[in-house]
Amino acid sequence: MSFNDFWDVLILGAVLGSLYAVIAIGYTLVYGVLQLLNFAHSEVFMVGGFGGVIALTIFVPAADPSGLQSIVYVLLGILFGAALGGTVAFFLEKVAYRPLRRRGAPRLVFLITAIGASFFLYNLAGKLFGRNPMPMPQMYENKTVVTIFGSTLNITQTLILGAAVVMLVAVDFVVNRTKLGSGIRAVAQDPEVASLMGVNIDKVVSRTFVLGGLMGGVAGFLFGTTNQVFYTMGFLPGITAFAAAVLGGIGNVRGAMLGGLTLGLVEAFTVEVWGDAWRYVGAFAVLVLVLMFRPTGILGERVARTA
Amino acid sequence: MLNKRIVKIALPVAIGALALSACGSDDGGGGSAGGDGGGGGSFTIAYQGPLSGPNADLGINMENGVKLAIKDANESGDYDVTFDYLGADDRGEPGQATSAAQLVIDNSDVIAVVGPAFSGAANVAAPVYGEAELTALSPSATNPDLTEQGFPTFLRGVPNDAEQGAAIADFFVSEGVEKAVVIDDLGDYAVGLANVIEENLDGAGIEVQREQLPENTVDHSSIARTVMQSSTDAVVYTGYYSQAAPLAVKLSEQGYDGIGLGGDGVKDPEFVNLASGGAAEGWYLSCPCRDLTEDEVGQGFTERYEAEYNRAPGTYSPEAYDAAMMIIEAVNELGDSADRASVHETVAQGEHDGVAKTLSFDDKGEYAGSGIYIYQVEEGEIVSRGNVEDLVG
Amino acid sequence: MTTTETVREVSAAARLRKTSWYQEPRWRRLAALVGVAVVGAQVTGVEGTNRDIFYALKENFTSTGILVWLAVCVGIWVVREFVHTPLGNAWKTAKQTVKAPAGEVQAVWRKQFWLRVAILSGVLVFLIVLPLLVSRHWQQVLVDQIAIYVLLAIGLNVVVGWAGMLDLGFIAFFAIGAYSAAFWTGSLPVAPPMELNNFAVIPVAVITCLVAGVLLGAPTLRLRGDYLAIVTLGFHEIVYLGAKNWQSFTGGTSGARVERFSIDLGFWSYSWGLDPRPYYWLLLAFIVALLFLFIRLEHSRVGRAWTAIREDEVAAASTGVDTVRFKLLAFAIGASTSGIAGVIYASKLAYINSEAFIVLFSILVLAYVIFGGMGSLPGVLVGTAVLVWLPEFLRDSVPPQDRYMYLGALLVVMMIYRPQGLWPSRRRQRELHMAEEGTGGADALGGTAGGKQV
Repeated sequence: MSFNDFWDVLILGAVLGSLYAVIAIGYTLVYGVLQLLNFAHSEVFMVGGFGGVIALTIFVPAADPSGLQSIVYVLLGILFGAALGGTVAFFLEKVAYRPLRRRGAPRLVFLITAIGASFFLYNLAGKLFGRNPMPMPQMYENKTVVTIFGSTLNITQTLILGAAVVMLVAVDFVVNRTKLGSGIRAVAQDPEVASLMGVNIDKVVSRTFVLGGLMGGVAGFLFGTTNQVFYTMGFLPGITAFAAAVLGGIGNVRGAMLGGLTLGLVEAFTVEVWGDAWRYVGAFAVLVLVLMFRPTGILGERVARTA
Repeated sequence: MLNKRIVKIALPVAIGALALSACGSDDGGGGSAGGDGGGGGSFTIAYQGPLSGPNADLGINMENGVKLAIKDANESGDYDVTFDYLGADDRGEPGQATSAAQLVIDNSDVIAVVGPAFSGAANVAAPVYGEAELTALSPSATNPDLTEQGFPTFLRGVPNDAEQGAAIADFFVSEGVEKAVVIDDLGDYAVGLANVIEENLDGAGIEVQREQLPENTVDHSSIARTVMQSSTDAVVYTGYYSQAAPLAVKLSEQGYDGIGLGGDGVKDPEFVNLASGGAAEGWYLSCPCRDLTEDEVGQGFTERYEAEYNRAPGTYSPEAYDAAMMIIEAVNELGDSADRASVHETVAQGEHDGVAKTLSFDDKGEYAGSGIYIYQVEEGEIVSRGNVEDLVG
Repeated sequence: MTTTETVREVSAAARLRKTSWYQEPRWRRLAALVGVAVVGAQVTGVEGTNRDIFYALKENFTSTGILVWLAVCVGIWVVREFVHTPLGNAWKTAKQTVKAPAGEVQAVWRKQFWLRVAILSGVLVFLIVLPLLVSRHWQQVLVDQIAIYVLLAIGLNVVVGWAGMLDLGFIAFFAIGAYSAAFWTGSLPVAPPMELNNFAVIPVAVITCLVAGVLLGAPTLRLRGDYLAIVTLGFHEIVYLGAKNWQSFTGGTSGARVERFSIDLGFWSYSWGLDPRPYYWLLLAFIVALLFLFIRLEHSRVGRAWTAIREDEVAAASTGVDTVRFKLLAFAIGASTSGIAGVIYASKLAYINSEAFIVLFSILVLAYVIFGGMGSLPGVLVGTAVLVWLPEFLRDSVPPQDRYMYLGALLVVMMIYRPQGLWPSRRRQRELHMAEEGTGGADALGGTAGGKQV
């Protein structure tokens, strides 16, 4: 592998990894407050993709958009993706998980509810929007933006990297610096004590879901711009992002970011060496190996410890 | 807690939705079942294929083709008997194939089956159909193995891959290709076709590089990069249009300017639609099917299909339509005396000039027809370039 | 309460708790039901198209379907709000009248050993003659899906229900079993050292799966619940991709044709053919044998060790239970059961390809076990049978594309209203009860989600 190849693959891996990181945050936040594997998060991601298509179908992009128009379209897509993702996550928590929390149901039951909700949501999306994939309407001409060591970075890749960095910084700020963040950390550490200290658990949990949903929705939109939108699109990225969250130390926000990036890079290099067919073998082998030596992931567990 | 603000927003929306639904007109119950064909008996034609699961889109393409054939037959008034439809979903999985097949067999009205759609399911279901003497005419199962097993009633209504592979090799030679990258999606159909293409290209002295691009790959940039690095003249993708489109997009983004060619799984108007930004422009598509736009039969089919299902006929829709029509004609020929065994005999020995191709079978149930056609994407339309033999010759 | 002072005093506190009319439970229930109606109208509405993303939404909001849904839901609301008391009372009386005799029956059931034996043999006889009573289609469903998944579910129940480990890669062992059958009967592209009869493959497959289970389990079983889940999921994905990509060995997606079962004892021989019934009886024999074995196991020292690990692993370890060994044992037993199912599956279909072993199936089996009531054998049997039967049953009543949407909705609704499963075991019920009161864990994953609600 030449130096140039290395940079090419590094860029591909970083772009994919930053998408995984954004999705993984959704898993990890929910896990932090509920110790729940929210399998339905992959459907929040999928809905975000459809949100982008809906936005760009309503505000039909001009055939030859100017720079300003392109920015508006992208922002609209992000906005709709986030809005739809957040809405679905909000109702998911309210309908599927809150009744279980009230009964103090064991966590495996949550898992099955999550699986059921996931089945329901993606099949419903397939029914409403058709089972064929849809393209994301074109918002700009995908030109090369910068060249680093002979490797190019085009607009879509820059967009994904940029949006991911902004979101990751924002979520890190929210978790560590805001009132909601301290609520999230308090609930993650000990829900009973937190509620005694006047934290409204219901509100914190609900907002955590919405926060994760917003990020998942944007990730869905971004995925749609570089791939396409279809009703089962959440499954594979969802599982990988879930693995990323575990790899970094589930419940740990910075861990999820690190885990996402790591898996993205591992995938890109696996594909470079062994081909696309072995993509997930590399990723999961790394996961299993890391967990063997660090049983709680790279950075360890829990939202609370990052503070 | 329902937030006050949320309710303030939600309430008008809910009221709006209520008002909307209240104003909405009643448009259910339109479209009658179709004319009564004149006093004859009624037969059911079944379809077995994936109607749910990851390959539902392909399965629904075929189902629509079969349904349209039945509708056309009932409305045309040319037939003495009427036809009904029965769908059996096998999710494209071998594990559900026998029970889906048995569901069809147990229904004594069923006279013949279009399907099983996928080779894996066909492998499991064909012996069961054989035992029940029920014709299983598959519009899409291409695994060459299937006709070698001696399944009594299995008929393949689609050429197996050998002919297409040879035609593509001829075409590339005539285009002066020296190196080609052949990409499959690890699926049954794509691997089979890619193997044959690879052999034929090798035989024609063209250097071949073989790659895999699994279905639902999250990132097509890597494979596009591999193609760019190989400095190839041509790329062949043997899977389906849903993967071919993002591949074409990534290739065009990375500045690929060689030949792109897709197999019959790519020849779907959705390919052009999905490859946004004109990335599909100039791609060649090979298909053992005639051009639907060149004669009235094909145009009529396309029009009726679009009117019925809100989209252009997809991959395998015309094939499924032809298969169903062939069965319908065989049943009509036999009249009221038609039973499962006699329908099989008639279909297996008959010939049907359909919208996509002429269907007939050899004694193993293998498709016995010929002709590979090359299409090209030109200004967002799939345009026929004619028969490969004519192109090469 | 009548003087002005008290009113003012109350209102000061009440301002904080002031609820508008729409925040009253009654109106919120109405909003929820209207929501149900809107979603329901989408669920039963038209099929969308990718060419016009709004097509289905437009149709669904303007058709009669949504009006019917709204009428039904508002009707339910009216009944719930205004005719509530008499209905509730009637329900209570009905419950009480049923409960007393039901309790008596239960007491008799527990006391009378021979009665139990008689009823269980009755059930067994019914199960034996069942395929003679149903159509051929249902016979196929019974074999290909229900019986196979029941076998898988009782295996997974050992891992999840008894030892309390979350295993998302159970179908990987099913795949290993199926490919063992294909390999040792000489059906794969690679020739085996010696060809075996399908029945002789079963012990070989069991050993292969045991070894695979131990190899995977030994380094990973010290991981806590969720980490174990993702590791097993990863293992499954690796096995699946191996089967799919290593085409020169497994045949990949093109698959491999496998021999069917046959017995040749010299003086008597029999071959299983296309008729599903002999497979059913064979599977039933396996299921009954394994059930017998597992029931013995549940009440043995091993079973009690599993219970201890499940309820509190640290406490179990400190009282001298070798937790790693017992967890490994559960894992290996589950894996080999899955392997047996794999051999039978491959021999019944006479064909396998990699697509029969996707990750989704592992998730489905887990859902079956928990739906039935994990840890409870009758629950797992009934739950699996019901959930596998449902999509087949729905074939006739809903569009086939939507079957799994209804399955998903059922899982959610069921878990909300009956989290303990269809037929929970008594011990699990008690654990759940303790968890609800916050005095104990209900699975080895430790604690409940989000703590106790206040």
